[in-house]
Parts: sequence; structure tokens; C-alpha cells
Amino acid sequence: MKEKLNGFHVALLIFMIELDVTVFMLPRMVAVQIGTNGWLGFLGLSLIAAFNIWLYRLVYRAGQGRSVFDISEAVLPKIVLYPLYASLSLLWLGIGAFAGKSFVLVFQTLSFQTSPPMQIFAVYCLLVYALLAKDLYSIVKASTVFFLLSIWMLVLAPYFFKDWSIHRFTAFFFHGTENGHSLSGMLDVYAVFIGYELCVFLFPFSDAKTKLFKGVFAGHAIITATYLLTILVSFGFFSFEEVKILQFPLIHTLEYIEMPFINRVENLVFPFFLFSNLVTTVMFAFAARSALGRMLPGVEAKRFALPLAAAVFALGFLPSVFREAAALIRLTYFTETCVAFILPLLLLILIKIGGKTSKEASSR
Amino acid sequence: MADGKGNDAGANAAEKTKPTLALVAESVKGCADCLHEKLAGSGAELIYFPTLVDLDCLQRDLIRPLSQASPEQLNSLLSGAPYRTATDLKSCAKSIMDGAAAVFAGQDVYLFDAPKSTGRKIEQSETETIITGPHDGFVEALEENLGVIRKRIRSPKLKSVALEVGEVAKTRAILLYVEGLANEQFVTMLTDRIQDIEIDGVSDANMLVQLIDENPNSLFPQYLTTERPDAVVSKLLGGRIAVILDGSPSVFSAPTAFLEFFSSPDDYYQRWPIGTALRILRLIGFLITICFTAFYVSVTTFHYEMIPHTMLLNLAESRSRVPFPPLIEALLMETTIELLREAGARLPTKIGQTIGIVGGIVIGQAAVQAGFTSNILIIAVAISAIASFVIPSYIMSASLRLIRFGLIVLAGILGNLGLIFGIGFLVVHMAGVTNLGTSYLTPIAPAKFMDILDTLVRGPFWALKKRPSLSRSPNKTRAKIKR
Repeated sequence: MKEKLNGFHVALLIFMIELDVTVFMLPRMVAVQIGTNGWLGFLGLSLIAAFNIWLYRLVYRAGQGRSVFDISEAVLPKIVLYPLYASLSLLWLGIGAFAGKSFVLVFQTLSFQTSPPMQIFAVYCLLVYALLAKDLYSIVKASTVFFLLSIWMLVLAPYFFKDWSIHRFTAFFFHGTENGHSLSGMLDVYAVFIGYELCVFLFPFSDAKTKLFKGVFAGHAIITATYLLTILVSFGFFSFEEVKILQFPLIHTLEYIEMPFINRVENLVFPFFLFSNLVTTVMFAFAARSALGRMLPGVEAKRFALPLAAAVFALGFLPSVFREAAALIRLTYFTETCVAFILPLLLLILIKIGGKTSKEASSR
Repeated sequence: MADGKGNDAGANAAEKTKPTLALVAESVKGCADCLHEKLAGSGAELIYFPTLVDLDCLQRDLIRPLSQASPEQLNSLLSGAPYRTATDLKSCAKSIMDGAAAVFAGQDVYLFDAPKSTGRKIEQSETETIITGPHDGFVEALEENLGVIRKRIRSPKLKSVALEVGEVAKTRAILLYVEGLANEQFVTMLTDRIQDIEIDGVSDANMLVQLIDENPNSLFPQYLTTERPDAVVSKLLGGRIAVILDGSPSVFSAPTAFLEFFSSPDDYYQRWPIGTALRILRLIGFLITICFTAFYVSVTTFHYEMIPHTMLLNLAESRSRVPFPPLIEALLMETTIELLREAGARLPTKIGQTIGIVGGIVIGQAAVQAGFTSNILIIAVAISAIASFVIPSYIMSASLRLIRFGLIVLAGILGNLGLIFGIGFLVVHMAGVTNLGTSYLTPIAPAKFMDILDTLVRGPFWALKKRPSLSRSPNKTRAKIKR
């Protein structure tokens, strides 16, 4: 009596994977890299991500729902694939670790200036372990609840309407960037979408009834809308030049909220971002677990949880301040963006070759 | 285990052995309360437990007729109802233990069932009181409990499966379900689980459920136990399964989800907006129970800037006289409240009231004046305690009160982030909990929108047309009410 991974839950999962520490910097990134009215350019980037998801849909259809590993191993020898699995696992663990550590470092800056960040990160990794030790259905169930514990923050948006002005948007488009428009700049912004490509690991848990890709597209649409709201609130609340110099415009907007019974609401609201970062870390670690599980088929999936959580913790030692963490996030997210685009193309080629090989074999 | 393989072999042999006076007498040897007597007229011999049989009935329907009969009339007299022939030693011994008298007439053995109804009669539940609706509650006698359910569901489709729990105690249990409404797979699964229990004895349904749940190390109760017949009937009609255990006033139902523990039968007896408001109030109570004191600790330890200026002065003034850090202060007060609660629960009602008065004074004004605690913490602790009692299930309430301590400690170490970490751990844990293979977080995860109408809120009856998806009932339609 196993539950199915239906489209609705996939949508929430994709939302939670894509929402991570990069959202704190998003309005600044958009202002610095795309310029005035950057939200429009941001929508363009979201469409590119949607195109990338469509490529995965092609893979799903052409491969008839087979897992990424089955498709690859049908054509390529294990000696070629295993180093690739290992490298990708390291990359995914790195993304999970740096996203988590960055969140911890931002929180430390806000509230725990004197506490060692690795102590807080250790608790974070315990939570990663607790979730990673469960099956995917349980991870998805937890991420559904985490979604509800995160999405309520959108209710705070109307709070800014009073001081929000459309005049701050200017009539010009894509002006005022720091270094003009560049591919690396666009990749900086595009990094906020990273995470949707993990839908490739959900293939074995879905069938025609579960509407996997409707869920992935819906999740991507919800996160795009959420990001857009964040950008619009920041652009209309601060001036364009101010957004460019604020390190974390989202947190600065939260700092503005003051209620009669509680001040400095960001102290309460900000920790809720833990959940989306946690799901990001866990799902990238889950991707690594899937790849490593393929290399070590005799090992039970749950047994990977402890070493993987320990690896995430160990990788967390690499950045000690937020600047270093941001640089590592940039590096790993750039790499992952490349992987996100190359992977479906590669898989489509492998499916085609695999199809030919099987046809030739059957004709012989 | 009391019974080993040797005893199993012995039991199998007993199943095939024909009962005789000597064998039955041997099986009850050493039981001082067992009576073995020979009747004057007919010469029949009886073996029974006077403590288990209805002596009036025995005297009227067995002893008197047999005493007046001659030895020749004996077998013809015993050949029909209400007497039955004992076929094997095992069932004969079991019947005696169930309240039958064994009658030995020559080589033949007959049984006369006259079980004594013991224990209290149906009365109001003390742990689950309600304002409106039926006030009867379950008692310790299985037959009484089964009777009140049968009276409410007067249909032969209410099926019962007789089970036995405990290798030594052999406590009777009855599994109930409505044919056509309950999922047959669940019925089989639950029956198998109860039959597979290997333990000497089980004294209460709340103990039994711990032996059959899927997550024995979880803090959360995984089967809903209740003392209210109307609640059980509602569960049965919702396609769920209920189990009555002899000797226990609690009946449990399955499958169950977390949010079910926050609903009470009176929600249905009130107008639906009131019922909905009450459910939301209980969920707020749940949040307050686990978070409020922890939030106080977090704010007063790490996030003073969150307190509005006007309140800050009062709090600082009150806190300035307390020698402990907020974490210790909160743990001390929460422990005191728990001590008071536990003492109140253990003591007789009349003395229990004294504890309330003493506690009220000690943890009230005196503790503040002595500089033992701040008055705002007293408010936080009191509100948390009151909120915990809003939850209808005592077992769930006790679990949440313990969880609160964990969150207080995390909040004392990592502030608001610690509190959120704690909630994260809870959610992760609950995501892994299942009951008969169904998710404990239903209808949130997996999301079942129609079920939300009867869990988070109490929807109007015209909207509650479907049975809960959790029960995986083959007949999904519960009502065809038009607006």
C-alpha cells in the first residue's frame, strides 16, 4: 500500500528545492546583472529553465519512464559511468553543503555573531541525516509540510504596499548594470532556479497517472511567481541603486516589519527559511545517494544516510565566512547549471543509441 | 515468554484429548477458588469457578434440575440446550475459565455457560467528558462495550472477529468492522498483528496498541483510543476498524492520522461554524503547548530586540531578580507544573483539590516574590499547560507536553532557529510514522482536500459526503445530503 508521488506533491517538492539561500540575494543579483526592470529579464530566464524542464520531459517520454541510470547503463560501460556518478555525487553534496552552510552563516551574522557556525551546521546536518534516512515518500511528505511552514511568508507581502511605489521602477529597461550584460551575470541570476533538474531522479517513483511533469512545471511556476513577488517588492520598496548595494535585500525588507506585540520580525521569520534550504540539501544528497546506490547495489539505501550527512558536514568546513560560501555556491551552481542542460541532451542521445542497438540486436 | 515450544506441543495434544473428570480436575489443580462438587440425586459431578459463574443461574438452571433427576435421566437431560458437549480438553478448560460449569455424567462431559457479569455498569467517561451529546462511556466488560456499539449500529453488517491476546492471560478481544465499508486488507492486517503478539498478557487497550504499531519508538500515539461509544461508532461508519479488549475501558480504532487526535465527538453536535472554531482553537492550543514557553526562552535569551519597548521594561524588571538563565528558569517551572499535574492525577479527588490550591500559591505570587521566576514566565507556563489540556486525547496531550521540553532546550541553545530546528525534527519524524501503512500526516501529506473538511475544520454535513480517504473504504460515499 505505497503512496504515489503525485503531481501536486512533486510541485511542492520542486518549489522547495529551488527555494534556497540564493533568494536572499536575488533582488540584488537581478538589479546588478539585469538592471532596471530586471523582473522582465528574470521572467525570460525562468522560461529558459522551463525549456530545460521540457527537455527532461522529452527524456521521460523517450525513455518511457526508465531511470537515468537504466538509460545510461544500457549504452555506456560502468567503467565510464562510475567516475561520472562519483563526480556528480560530490558536486551534489557540495551544493547541499554550501547552501546549508550559507544559510547558517547568514543566520549567524544576524543573531549569533559569537557562536561557532559549525556547531549550528552540525544540528542542520543532524536534520539532514534524519530526513535522508527515510524513503523518498517520507521526504516528500516532510517537504509538503515544510512548504506550508514556508509559504505563509507570502502573507507578509501586503505589509509593504503602503511604502511601495511604482515610480521606483523607472520607464527604462535593463539599464544600470554594474558590468553590462554578460553570460556569467545571467548565470548568477539563473542559479536561483537550480534544483528542478532533480526531477530526473523522480522518474522511478511516478507513472502516467501521477502527472510528474505537470507537477514539475507547476512547481517551477509557483517558485517563479514567488521570486517575482520578492523582486517586485524589493524594487518598489527600495530605490534601484539601494537594491544594488544591499547584501540581502529580502532580509532588509523583513526588517522593516514591526507589529504592536512583536518587533524585529525577521528574527522569527528568517529561521523558517531553514526548511527550504533543508529540502534543497536533502534532495541533492538524495541524488548523490541514488548515484552511489547504483555503484554499491548491495548497500541498503538507508545506510548511505550517515556517511552522506557526515560528508555534507565535512564539506561545510570549506567556507568559513559568507563570502567564501557565496563563491563556492557560485562555482557549484554554475557547474550544476551546465549539468542541468547537458544531462537531458546526453540522455536523449543515449536513448537514441540504445534504441538502435536494441533494434539491431533484435533484427540479428 | 511464559509459554515455550513445549507448551505449544502440550496445547496441541490437549486439542485432541477427550476431556475426562481426572484430566479436567488435573488442569485446575492448585486453584483454591475452583469448586469440585458431586450432586446428590443424579450423581453428576461439577467443576466450576464460583468467582466466574453466575451462581443464581447455576443454581436455578443446573444444580436444581440435576439434583432432582435420577442417574438414568442425566444424559437425556443434558443432551440439548442450554448444555453443550465438551469435545476436547483444551476447549473444556477454556470454557471453564470463561465462566462455564463442566458437568461430568459418566464418560460424557457437558458444559453449561453461566458467565458472571462483573465490573461496573455503563457510566460516564471520566477522561473524555463532553457537554452535549451522549454521556455513556465504555467500561471494563467486553460484552457491555460490544452491546453499546451494537445498539448504535443495528445491522448484521457490523462484523466481529473474536481474538485472544496474551499467551498466559488469554484476554478476549473483539475486532469490529462494518462489512462493505472497511478495507478488508486492513482487517486482515490488524487481525494478523493482534494474533502475532507474543506476550504473557495485556492489561489495557492503550498497552495493546503499543504492541501492534509500526513505530514503537515514536513519541506519538498511533492508534486513537477512546472511551466514548459514539466516537467508535463514528469511526466504524467512516470505514475504520475498532478493537475492544476485555478489561479495558478504552477502545481503539485504525487507521489513524495525527490530526484526528484533535477532534472530539461534540464537534459534530455543535453547529458547524462552532465545531470548526473549536477545532482551530485546539490546533492553536497544540502550537501554544509545544512552542510558547520555548519562544519565551528564545526571546529572553537571544532575541530581546523582538520585545516591544513597553513590554521590555516590565520583563527586564521581573527578570532582573531571577538568578537563573531563562532556560533553567523555564525548565524548573515546567517541571513544577508537571509535578503538580502528576500529583493531582494520582491523589484522591478531595486531596487533589488541595494540591491545586498549594500549587496555585506556590507557583503563583510566592515564586515571583521569592525571585524564583519572572511573572511573564508564569503566564507562559500556565497558558502552555492550559493549552495542553484542550487536546481531547490525554495520550496525545502527554506526548506533546514531553516534546515541549525538547523544544525549550533547543530554544535555549539556538534561539528561534533552535525552535525551528525542533519543529523540523518533529515534522521529519512524523513524516516517517505510518499506521497500517497509511501516512500519519494525512490529509496534509499526502494532501487530501476533501478530508481537510473533516480534520482541520468541521465542515457542514452537506459537505461531508465522502468517507475519509485514510480508511481506503470500498464504499466512498458517506452521505447524499443536498444543501
